[in-house]
Amino acid sequence: MEICNSYSSSSVDSTNPSPSESSVNLSLSLTFPSTSPQRARKQDWPPIKPRLRDTLKGRRRLLQRDYDTCLFVKVYMEGVPIGRKLDLSTFSGYESLLENLSHMFNTSIICGNHRDRKHHVLTYQDTDGDWMMVGDIPWEMFLETVRRLKITKPERC
Amino acid sequence: MNYFPDEVVEHVFDFVTSHKDRNSISLVCKSWFKIERYSRQNVFIGNCYSINPERLLRRFPCFKSLTLKGKPHFADFNLVPHGWGGFVQPWIEALARSRVGLEELRLKRMVVTDESLELLSRSFVNFKSLVLVSCEGFSTDGLASIASNCRHLRDLDLQENEIDDHRGQWLSCFPEAYTSLVTLNFACLEGETNLVALERLVARSPNLRSLKLNRAVPLDALARLMACAPQIVDLGVGSYEDEQDSESCLKLQAAIRKCTSLRSLSGFLEAAPHCLSAFHPVCHNLTYLNLSYAAEINGSHLIRLIEHCKKLQRLWILDSIGDKGLEVVASTCKELQELRVFPTDLQGGGNTAVTEDGLVAISAGCPKLHSILYFCQQMTNAALITVAKNCPNFIRFRLCILEPHKPDHVTSQPLDEGFGAIVQACKNLKRLSVSGLLTDQVFLYIGMFATQLEMLSIAFAGDTDKGMLYVLNGCKKMRKLEIRDSPFGDTALLADVNKYVTMRSLWMSSCEVTLGGCKRLAQKAPWLNVEIINENDNNRMEENGYEGRQKVDKMYLYRTVVGTRVDAPPFVWIL
Repeated sequence: MEICNSYSSSSVDSTNPSPSESSVNLSLSLTFPSTSPQRARKQDWPPIKPRLRDTLKGRRRLLQRDYDTCLFVKVYMEGVPIGRKLDLSTFSGYESLLENLSHMFNTSIICGNHRDRKHHVLTYQDTDGDWMMVGDIPWEMFLETVRRLKITKPERC
Repeated sequence: MNYFPDEVVEHVFDFVTSHKDRNSISLVCKSWFKIERYSRQNVFIGNCYSINPERLLRRFPCFKSLTLKGKPHFADFNLVPHGWGGFVQPWIEALARSRVGLEELRLKRMVVTDESLELLSRSFVNFKSLVLVSCEGFSTDGLASIASNCRHLRDLDLQENEIDDHRGQWLSCFPEAYTSLVTLNFACLEGETNLVALERLVARSPNLRSLKLNRAVPLDALARLMACAPQIVDLGVGSYEDEQDSESCLKLQAAIRKCTSLRSLSGFLEAAPHCLSAFHPVCHNLTYLNLSYAAEINGSHLIRLIEHCKKLQRLWILDSIGDKGLEVVASTCKELQELRVFPTDLQGGGNTAVTEDGLVAISAGCPKLHSILYFCQQMTNAALITVAKNCPNFIRFRLCILEPHKPDHVTSQPLDEGFGAIVQACKNLKRLSVSGLLTDQVFLYIGMFATQLEMLSIAFAGDTDKGMLYVLNGCKKMRKLEIRDSPFGDTALLADVNKYVTMRSLWMSSCEVTLGGCKRLAQKAPWLNVEIINENDNNRMEENGYEGRQKVDKMYLYRTVVGTRVDAPPFVWIL
C-alpha cells in the first residue's frame, strides 16, 4: 500500500495558488492516495520509520469497498510446517475458497457443518486470537475478522 | 590561574561528564583546555561531516568512547536518497592507525560495512560496546567478526538497522568459555536464528541484563531463554506464531515469574494477544514498555496489560489503544514521563483511534510527563491549550496530525493558538514538531516564547518567509531545523547568515528555496557545506537554463571545519 499525500510540493508546481487558497482547497480533497506518482513511490509521509511502516503493511487491514485492497492470509495444513499465502479478496464466498484450498493442498476440505472422518476441516483464527470453524458467519463478516487459516485433521474438531 | 597541580584539576574534571560542560571548561584558559583535551573520555560528534578523524585525534588523543551521527534526521522517513553518505569506514581506519584505545562506538544513521566491522573488531583490544542505531550496509558476517574478535564485548546493541541476514552462525562466534555480554539486541534481524546457539550463548553469559530477540524466536525457546537468564532487566520478546500448546504457555509463565528484575519489555512482533497475559505478573515493576510493533494486538488486550503497569515511566504504543486506553494510562501510570503513540492506519481514512481527548486525558493524569510523540487524525486548539495548562513541563512535544494542513476540526481555524499555548507554557521546551493547518502566526509565537528550543520540525506549514524568519530570529538556542513542504524561500534563508554558526544544520525540502539563493548563501558562509540533493542526477541544474531561479528540491546545510566532503555521490552538489 502506498502511503502518500496529494499535496504537491511547491517544487513540482511552479504556479502556486496563494497560501490561504491552497489550504482551503487542499483540506477539501481528503484522499490520501496521491495523484503524484513521485510521492507514491517515496513513502515519506507520515513520518514513521521504515520498520514500523513495514510492520503496519503486513498487518491485516480492514476490507474497504475499494479496488486495490487485497487480503493475504497464511494457510497451514496440520502436519505440514511450510504454509501458503492466499488472497481472500479474490474469492466470492466460502465455496470458491474451499474449492481453491482443496486444489492447493490436494485434499478434500469442508466447512464445519458436515463433519466426518474423511475430510479435513477448515478453521480460522479471528481478531481475538480464537480458533473458529469456517462457515458460521456471513462471508463479508468473515473477511473482516479472519487473520489466518488452518486445515485441521478431522478428529480435532 | 591554577592553584592546583594538573592531576588534581584532571581529577576534578572526571566528575564533569556532559559534553556541553566539558566544552565549556575547555574554554576557560589554555591550561584547562590542555588538561581537558587529554582527559576527555567520551567524544560526541553530532554530524560526522563537521570534522574529520585526523582533527579529532589531534584534539582528543586519549578518548575511549566515540558517538557519531551521519545522515540528517529526515533520512528516517526516506527523504535522503540511498548513497548520500555517512560512511564510518574512514573513521575506523583512522582510529585503527592511531593509538586510541577505543572501547565504545555508538553510530546513528551511518553506513557501516562488514569490512568496517571486521577492522573495528581487530584493531581495539579492549573494545567493549557497539551500539548501532538506524544504520545500514552490513550483514551478519560483520556481526560474526565482532563476536569472534572482541573478547571483552559487553554490548552488542542493534536498533532498527537494515542488516543483510546471511543466516550465518554469528551467534556461535562468541567466546566459548563464558562471555562478558551485558546487552544483546538483535531484534532487527529478519532471518532465522540458530536457537541452539542462542540458548547456549545466553546460558554462558551470566552478566546478561538486556536481551532483545528477533522475529524468529518462538514461544518455547523464549521460555527456555528466560529460564536461563532470570536476572534479565530488559527483554525484547520476538514474535511467536500462535501456539496452541498450553504447556509452552505454562513454561513461559513460570519462567517469567522468576524474572523479578525485569523492568523493561518490548518486541511482540506478530504476537498473538493471549500471550500478553503471561506477562501480567511482572507488569507492576515495569518502567519501560514498548508495544509499538505489536500491530496484531487490539486495544482491549493492550489495556488489560497496562492496567497492571503502575510504575511505568516510558510507554510506546500504537493508536489501536484508543482514547479509552489512554484514559486507562492516565489513571494508572502516574509515574509516566514519556509517551509515544504511533499510527496504525496510514491511509488516513475514518479510523479515529486516538483524538485530542486522549492527549488531554494523558496531560491531566500524568503529572511527570515531559516527552510526547503523538500521531492522530484530528486536533483542536482548545485541547492544546488545556494540555499546555496541565503540562507546563514538556521538554519534547511532537504532534503529528496525519493529514497535512488539517485545521482545528471543531472551529476550522488554524492550530496557531494551540501550539502558541504550548510554547508559551512550556519554558523548558527543547524539541518541537508541529503539524496541521498553521500560518506564519504560529512561528511568531515560537520565535517569541520558545527560548530554549533546540530542534524544530516543520511540515506543510506557514504562509510566507516571515514564518521562518520569526524562528531564526527568535530561537537563540536553535541547533537543528528541518523543514519540508513549506513556502519558505531565499529571503528567509539569507536574512541572517550568522545564524548558521550556532546551528548545527538546516534541512529544507520541497520549499521555495532556489539554486541562486543557495549559491549566494554558500558564498556568504564559507564555514558551511550547502548541499543540493537532486535524485534525478541526469538533470544537473548547472546544465539547466533556469539556473538561478530553479527551485531546489532538497537542501541540507551544516557547519563544518573541514570544508567540502570528498565522498559525496553524483546526485549531491556541494556549493
